[in-house]
Amino acid sequence: MRIEKRQVEGQPLTVIIEYPEWNDSVESLVRKIGRMDISFVGKTEEGSVSIGISDVYYIENVERKLFIYTEGDVYRFDGSMSDIESRIEDTALVRISRTCIMNTDHLKEIRQIRNSHLEAVMDNDEKLIVSRKYLPDIKRIFRNEGL
Amino acid sequence: MKKVFRDTCILFALAVLSVFVISIVWVGVTDEIRLVLELFALSFVISLGNYFLDEYTSLPVIGSYAVKYIAATAAVMLFGFIVGWFYRSNFWMAFIYVGIVIVLAYFIDAFKIKRDIEYINSGIRKKKG
Repeated sequence: MRIEKRQVEGQPLTVIIEYPEWNDSVESLVRKIGRMDISFVGKTEEGSVSIGISDVYYIENVERKLFIYTEGDVYRFDGSMSDIESRIEDTALVRISRTCIMNTDHLKEIRQIRNSHLEAVMDNDEKLIVSRKYLPDIKRIFRNEGL
Repeated sequence: MKKVFRDTCILFALAVLSVFVISIVWVGVTDEIRLVLELFALSFVISLGNYFLDEYTSLPVIGSYAVKYIAATAAVMLFGFIVGWFYRSNFWMAFIYVGIVIVLAYFIDAFKIKRDIEYINSGIRKKKG
């Protein structure tokens, strides 16, 4: 596969895929690139903001309200965990507990802490509790990325 | 190896099922068949309990196994009394049976968790160069 990159000022980010024949690999590539364009509408007291999937660190359900956490900000999200889960298939976002979805692109480390709980340390040093049940799902993300 | 073991278990389950079906058709439900069917029903009840515990609690590993041990022992004792496995004098055997299974499951689980964590952390290192 040949990869070409060029800067075109004044244009939105554009990805052109040339293929000799449409097959599963091309389809998967198109789907993955399409997923990178997903964004969520987060709400703050000032109004609504579009949050790109790559900016999301984690999404948490706190007392039936959803919050999107980026590197340094928190936004309210109107929707349900199942709405989000239906949109994050094939992305780096994965459920890590009943109330939390994490972006593995911003994951620094997973570790087992003293009382046998599992903890995810994010790039901004925030720590999230990981349920053992979802560990294979996180592993699957890294296995798929390795392919 | 994992796949071979899984296939062996599936094949074994199918073999037991076919032998049982033929035996039930020919000679009816014998004591041995009844015992295995009872064990199957008990396993279903315990698995269902495990599912709900995993889904709705987030206890630490040891805490989770302690709760599962108590719940599974209670289920085995109750079930054992209903189907007549235990006499009043030996009901404590349930603690030993369940204890052995739980200890084995705990060590297998702990090993799997450690391996999964290593895999994920090495994936992160590769990804971030």
